[in-house]
This record gives sequence, structure tokens and C-alpha cells, in this order.
Amino acid sequence: MGGFLTRNRLRGAAWLLGLLCLAGLFLSPRAAAMTAEEIIQRRDSNEYVQTVIVEAEMVILNNNRKLTKAMTSYADGDNALTIFTNPRDRGTKFLKRGDELWMFFPDAEELVKISGHMLNQGMMGSDFSYQDIMESDKLTDLYEFQLVGEEELDGRQCYVLEGTAIPGEEVSYHRRKAWIDRERFVGLKEELYARSGRLLKVMTTTKVEQFEDRWYPVEAVMEDKLRKNTRTEFIVKSIEFNPVIPTETFTLENLR
Amino acid sequence: MFLTKLALKNLIRYRTRTLAVGLIIAFAVFFYILFDALMAGMNEMSYEGIIDYETGHLQIVNSSYWQEEKKLPLDDLIPLDLLRRIKLEEVQGYRGSSAELAFQARLNNGINELPVVGRGVVPEDLLSVFSLADKFVEGEMFSSGEQRVVMGKRLADLMDVGVGDYVILLVRDKNNTFNTIEAEISGLVHTINHNVNNFLVYMPLDVAQEALAVDDVVSKVVVRLDHKEQAPQAAGVLESKLQRLDGDLAVYKWDDTDALSFSSYAATENQIILGIILLIAAIAIINTVILAALERMREIGTMKAMGLDVREIVYLFVIESTGIGVLGGCIGLVMGAVGVWYLVRFGVDFSAMAQLDMTSFGVPVLGKTHGVWNPNAFITVFAFGVAVSFLSSILPGYWAAAKDPIQAIQHR
Repeated sequence: MGGFLTRNRLRGAAWLLGLLCLAGLFLSPRAAAMTAEEIIQRRDSNEYVQTVIVEAEMVILNNNRKLTKAMTSYADGDNALTIFTNPRDRGTKFLKRGDELWMFFPDAEELVKISGHMLNQGMMGSDFSYQDIMESDKLTDLYEFQLVGEEELDGRQCYVLEGTAIPGEEVSYHRRKAWIDRERFVGLKEELYARSGRLLKVMTTTKVEQFEDRWYPVEAVMEDKLRKNTRTEFIVKSIEFNPVIPTETFTLENLR
Repeated sequence: MFLTKLALKNLIRYRTRTLAVGLIIAFAVFFYILFDALMAGMNEMSYEGIIDYETGHLQIVNSSYWQEEKKLPLDDLIPLDLLRRIKLEEVQGYRGSSAELAFQARLNNGINELPVVGRGVVPEDLLSVFSLADKFVEGEMFSSGEQRVVMGKRLADLMDVGVGDYVILLVRDKNNTFNTIEAEISGLVHTINHNVNNFLVYMPLDVAQEALAVDDVVSKVVVRLDHKEQAPQAAGVLESKLQRLDGDLAVYKWDDTDALSFSSYAATENQIILGIILLIAAIAIINTVILAALERMREIGTMKAMGLDVREIVYLFVIESTGIGVLGGCIGLVMGAVGVWYLVRFGVDFSAMAQLDMTSFGVPVLGKTHGVWNPNAFITVFAFGVAVSFLSSILPGYWAAAKDPIQAIQHR
């Protein structure tokens, strides 16, 4: 999953690190004069990696129930493979190939294509829907962003951007509002709205780390605002940028 | 003629045995007829459950939509102004029609979410086509334009909501964008239809169209006729009307739906159960005939000693056995007729007997289940009883007749 997110963030995706969203560029002297689109594009460019391997943990909190899932993700371009490694889900795999999402259950030895209304369900019971992880188009192609102001968020100065879906474009969320760290160009918070104006999800970055020349969000929380007392924490344990991943990693044969 | 008379006399002489074997056949016939009538009644109820709550008698749908109907797409919908040009009321037997916009949604009560099927409808039309008016267990039907919904009582119980509570339906509109419909629950229904009870959420058509960002279009139009037998003819008339308007529109009869594949599966299952009843009866008959042959070994020996050949003895056995079959069959037919009459007239309330709501198991039974007269079942099972009695006596007859007369007389 981490892999999916990282690679799709370049494309403005919501997948994993994409859900962590809006990683930053270093503040440049021109930053203050930047337009909303430039901010988004520089954030996207900053986050883009051709290939990535991520080890991560997903902590799902639902009322008093707490589930922890560990995973390793491999991503290359539009393809990504996530393998769950915690005892309960060990061997469960997700494969994203372009616009298709496949899941493999080791107990049933069954390969399932996730499509239609199943995409709206929470991935492995989390607050991330399958659709969230499938978004892979560039956000600036889908939304018209506006810089609506600047705010301080948890002690960090942020640009506040608001994106509204371009009419006719297929997007999951009609409107999204993002808080981007002014200094590091990391997305610190994002609100996702339905067309009715109702807030559906809030993703908050809780920890950012520097990897050589880039800042990367490594911990984030996703909250489904339609449901009370539920949230999912996503924690990157380790991340390797630009590794060599064999092409056959992303085949259906490898999923079984 | 002598042997025939002797065989018939034997039936009377051994009246206890005749009656005992005859009753086995009678009960087999009785249970078969009763079970068949009950299954036919339940089948009829399941058809009604589908017609009354899902398909009506006819459905006007875009043929491309029909192929993808399970996914409830928001493509290939029918413009309502096109439908207004079809004079549906001219169709023979027409009673009403209801346009509906079906879509997938997730029902949210603020804590949990469940996948459901939303149906945008015009309330008055819905009630004219589907038998929902008297199925409200709480509340009432909404009016057009209201942000209110009606759903199954069971679904509401599962979501822990009731009349007056607000729920959110999370949907994806025509552009695949999330949208929400916040609505008050105006009424709860409980029907024999499993889908209505558990998965359907009705709301005003205009509210659904707005939420799904579609124009004045619907997924289908459901037509109600006076009788289901009128469906084939009415479908033909409508089809020709539609062809003149839009070649993509098609008419599907109530029995064209996938929902009925389950019914046909159930019918096959019933046939298997009926087959098992007949098999048990056949084994009982064969067993009894063999025992009767053993019992009468000395008598057979005497008959052989008096000059009767094998064929005559077998003939005697066959006539006697067939006679018992006819007698048992007749008693069974009378018992069956009384049983079916009771089922047709009074029905049987399984829910009350089991203290369970049968619809919760997907069994389309609410209140009493009534039987259905099926003359074919009477003929079939009677013929079967007689045939088994006839066939099952041949081998024991040969076996007994082949015995040496002295050994047979000394047989104990």
C-alpha cells in the first residue's frame, strides 16, 4: 500500500503516501509568489519516485477495537503490490495494475478483482477506501485549485489550497482542501468533501522526516467523518526510494 | 379368470396384510400430494414476492442496461419524456406503472455503514404497482421532493435506526463523485421479499436524480397488469410501441429476471425431495411384497403341487400386488385431496408453528402458506404407486414360484 501511495502522489493520488499527501519542497524565495497550481505541482514533483519499497503499519481504531496490520509494498509506475505480513493477514496481497485492483486471500486461495461498489468499502476495514488507493490521475488535471489563504497548523505556517472538481472530470471527491507546509511543502492536512458539501474524510500528517533532499510524511491519520470513533493511522516503518524491482513482481501469477 | 378371482379373493382373505401394505402406499401418495401442493404454494408466493416488490409484470429497460443491471449503472438510462409518449394505459390489463432510478449506496447511521440499493421513485406510482401500502409496520410513505426515505424494518433494526431518525446515504453520482443524501426515515416496511426487507431504500425520484447528478431519467419502468398471464401478450404490444420510439428500449417479462433462477433451482430441489419420498415408498412396497412372498411359501408350494405353473403363480402375485397398489393409491388420493383442500382453504402458518419469522431465512413466507391444486401430481403419484406395486411383485413372484413344491411346503 505504501508503494501505491508513494507512486500515485506524483500523480496527485490518495494512495498511501498520497493519502499522506502533499509532501514538500524546500521553501524557495519565489514560494510566496507561487500560485496554487504551482504549489501543487511542486509538491507532486517532490513526492514523485519512479520506484519505491515501503514497510508500513496500519493501525485501525474503531470504537474500542484496535487492529494492527503490517505490510510491505512495492511500487513501479502505475503498478503496485502490497503484501500483508502481520500474523492474521499474512499472505493477503493487493495488486494494482493500472486501473485494476486485485486481491488474493491465501486461506481461500482465491483471486478477487475489486470493482464496482466494492471499491467504496474500507480497505481491510480501514478508513481508506479501495477507491482512495486507486486514484492515480494528476490532481491538477482534475481539480481547479485556488490559494485561499495561509494558516498556522500545529505550529507550522501553511498554504491553504482548495480544489474543486473540473466539470465533467471523474473524481471521487468534489472538493478538497489542503494545508501545505510553507517551508517544507509537505501536506499536513487534507479535507475531502462530497458534492453535497459534507465533509467525508480528513487526513492529517502527524510526522514528517527528511530523506536526503526531500521531506516525506511518514505518519498520518485518516478519519472517516461519516462514522464516529473510527480512524486509521498509517505509519511508515522504512522506505527505500528508487530500488530495482523485477517487472514480474506485478503479475497476477505472482499474486497467487 | 379363475386366477384373477383368486387373487382378488386373496386380497380380502388377507385383509390385514392388504390394508397394511395399502396404507404404506396410501401414505406415500398422501405425503407426495401434500408436499407438492405446499411447494407449489410456496413457489407461487415466491413469484408473487418478486412480482409484487421487484419486477411487476413487465419492465421497460434499455437493453444495454439490462445486461449490466446487477451493477446498477447510471448509464443507458431512459429519459422520462420519452416514456410519457408511450401510452401505457392502452395496454390490455394495465393497472399502473412506476418509474424508478436504482443505484448503489452505503447506508450510514453515523457509526456503521452497510451497502444497500437505493430506489428513486414517485411514491404514488410505487404504491400503484407494488403491494407496499399495507406493509408499513411504522410510519408512512414520503412525498415527492422530501428528504425522506422508506426502508425495510429489518434493515432499520440492523442499523439501529427507526422512524424519525436521520441517515446518510453515501452514493457515487454520474461523474463517479461521492455525494451524500441526508434523509429522515419516514416509514418502515416488512414484506415477504428478502431484498425489500434487507437491502432496499426508497426515496423520492427527484431527490435521487439530483443527488446522482442525472437529468430526468430513470433506470426502468415497472408495469403492473391485472394478471401475470397477460404479461406475454402485453409485452408484445409494448415492444412494438417502443420500437417505433427508441430501438434500444426493450420489454422484459417478470419471468425473464434472474431472481427467478432461484425459484427454478428451488423447483428442482423440490423434485428431488419428491423423488426421495417416492423412493422410500418404493422400498417399503418392495420390502412388504417380498415379506408377503416368504410368508406364503407353503401356500405357493401347495398351489404348485396342485398343478399351477410358474407363470400362473407370478400372475397371481402381480395381480394381488397391483390390487394393493390400486387400493393404497385410491386411499392416498382421498387423503391427499382432503389435505390439499385444507391447505388451499385454510393454509398453514409456519412462522407461528416455528415461532420464527421465515423471511429472515430468505423464505418468502409471511403469514399463512396456502396449497395449490395440481391434478398432475395426483395422476403421477397414483400411477407411480400402482407401477411400483406391479413391478416389485414380479421378481419375488418368480423367486417363490421357482421353489420345489416339497421344499416350499416344508418352508418355515
